[in-house]
Amino acid sequence: MNLFDLVAGVVLLLTGFLAVQSKNAVHAALALAANFIVMGTVFMRLEARFLGWIEIIVYAGAIMVLFIFVIMLLYDAKADLGVDPLPWLRLWAPGVAALLFLGLAWAFFGFKAPLDAATAKAALFGGTAQALGPVLWRDWLYAVLLVAALLLVATVAAVALVKPEGGEER
Amino acid sequence: MTYVYYLLLSALLFALGAYGAMRRRSVLLLLMSVELMLNAANLGLITFARAWGSLAAQGAALLVVALAAAEVAVGLALVVAVFRVRESTTVDDLSELKG
Repeated sequence: MNLFDLVAGVVLLLTGFLAVQSKNAVHAALALAANFIVMGTVFMRLEARFLGWIEIIVYAGAIMVLFIFVIMLLYDAKADLGVDPLPWLRLWAPGVAALLFLGLAWAFFGFKAPLDAATAKAALFGGTAQALGPVLWRDWLYAVLLVAALLLVATVAAVALVKPEGGEER
Repeated sequence: MTYVYYLLLSALLFALGAYGAMRRRSVLLLLMSVELMLNAANLGLITFARAWGSLAAQGAALLVVALAAAEVAVGLALVVAVFRVRESTTVDDLSELKG
């Protein structure tokens, strides 16, 4: 455990809290983008370099920009609107979240690493694209193909959903 | 290595995301909370990959990232399509399917 772990943990929790608590949707989106960038550096620290860059490029780059674009498009920066038909759900939220955390923490707390750190680090080859590629394209090939098909369908669905209704053929 | 520290961090972020998912009323902010939860799960996967020295969990995390991208694309398209009809992005206003 070094200074990086501590600072990254504090920043992750702070930006995560801002992302779920901010009254302004733009502030929440920016806090979440910062969360993703720090998460990318944490991935690199945990020997997942390729995933760290993917996290920054896909999450902080593409997904959060898409969020901010839609917020701006719809002028939807307010978090609270009108009467609340489910007040009990919001009252219970902190308790349920705390229970969830306690359950997960109870499961994680006695975790003992099966390998010593140096052996595990050597087996990961730094988690670069060269190391991850063969795993994805051999052992996980069908999963990768399925996810690729899903992404294609999602792209088509996204375009079809926002197409103006009853528009004449061009 | 500090596996337990990162696992607890992932649990805390997951709980924060769940809190946001229960607390938020705008679809956009709800989706953001779900993204936070997916990301926390990814942190857990990568910590376990580091502990076991296994690249398989990193492959799974990559698939989660791709799934999140697909989910956001469809989710935001739905938000925009619904906003055109309802002039609102509050989930409570979407309790009936009648257009």
